[in-house]
Amino acid sequence: MKKQFALRAYLPVIITGVVVGIAALILTAMGNPKNMGFCIACFERDIAGALGLHSAAVVQYIRPEIIGMVLGALISAVAFKEFRAKSGSSPACRFVLGAFVMIGALVFLGCPLRMVIRLGGGDLTAVAALLGFLAGILVGLVFLKKGFTLGRAYPIRRGEGLMLPGFMVILLCLLLFAPQLLKFSESGPGSMHAPIAVALIAGLAVGVFAQRSRLCMAGGLRDVFLMKDFTLLSGFLAIWITITIGNLVLGSYNLSALSQPVAHSQYLWSFLGMALAGWGSILLGGCPLRQLILSGEGNGDSAVTVFGMIFGAALAHNFGLAGSADSVVDGVYKVGGIKTPGMVAVCIGFVVLLVISLTHLPKKGD
Amino acid sequence: MRAKHPRLVITFHTTAEAMATEQLCLREHLEGKLISVPRCLTSDCGIAWSAPLELRKTLKQKLQEAAIETDGFHEILL
Repeated sequence: MKKQFALRAYLPVIITGVVVGIAALILTAMGNPKNMGFCIACFERDIAGALGLHSAAVVQYIRPEIIGMVLGALISAVAFKEFRAKSGSSPACRFVLGAFVMIGALVFLGCPLRMVIRLGGGDLTAVAALLGFLAGILVGLVFLKKGFTLGRAYPIRRGEGLMLPGFMVILLCLLLFAPQLLKFSESGPGSMHAPIAVALIAGLAVGVFAQRSRLCMAGGLRDVFLMKDFTLLSGFLAIWITITIGNLVLGSYNLSALSQPVAHSQYLWSFLGMALAGWGSILLGGCPLRQLILSGEGNGDSAVTVFGMIFGAALAHNFGLAGSADSVVDGVYKVGGIKTPGMVAVCIGFVVLLVISLTHLPKKGD
Repeated sequence: MRAKHPRLVITFHTTAEAMATEQLCLREHLEGKLISVPRCLTSDCGIAWSAPLELRKTLKQKLQEAAIETDGFHEILL
């Protein structure tokens, strides 16, 4: 009989949260944009830009952190004999859900992980996003309780489970050996990055720890509301506390709702954007970070979701759906946020999620 | 530290199957509760059903009758 101790359940998640927090602080100190040590949505958006999938010149770069996270999860899964190639759980729906989770996140300007990192930097504009994320998760849970399912995954050939890690290796090779084929920002967030080796090592470390601990922003809140299980949420809180302490020590903590880095103060749309991301993450069974880790473990459905998120990022920037940051122009504070196309996209996203949620409930008689 | 007791943990392929099991057990007045899948069983982050060991046979039969697919039955200390 296997023993399962409470401490053994909490400790890996808390340690992972601390590792993610420290890695984010180091990456920011070494060049990443402020309050953006890690951001799965922003970094996948940058990758989409570097590959020429969108033409927003300020957000184009192959982020080694993403490559490292997927490969770190792969290394850990193989080392601990947990690599399981599987797929077949509504891949088309997952692609679409991934795209709308990304659009929701880019409306807010950050994934759930960056939301916590922003809160840890004292960014009060992220409070609206946190409330929205909670609301989205609660809506998703209503459908989970009613029996929502995208269906089960089945074992597949090992090579199929290696598709996303393989794609990441190709991205790394392009970055190292053929950067002339890629697009790189010369200004804006895409031009701000830590050295490749540092970013890759930080990503690898987070990938390994997240695979071991199952860290998930959406899963943490789902477990609390559904089962009063605080294990995964402890990782969420550990990141927040680590980043807060780190920023206080480094003198970069700025408790304010104004002039926060790569953030806007359209609170309603931050709330709605992250509500969309939260609801989508619950339907997908994990936040954007978790999708990267699962794809490293051989989950083809998560790989499709990641490709969906990259597609969503390209859509967001080609059609002007993403938020723009508040800025100061000629001494005047200019509120950023989203324009009409972004608002329409969020509304369409809610309709799409509702349709997917309703059409994947058990039929009468099931 | 809280004392650990041996429990039956049933894992599923989908969250929906875990939810259906909860509904079934509530209907049949069978003791148990939803838990997150223990890390020692899998790296997946799904939901499992925890029940007293003595319900193993009953649950296996009831779940089969209700056509609820399971991934596995495990005995662990919780």
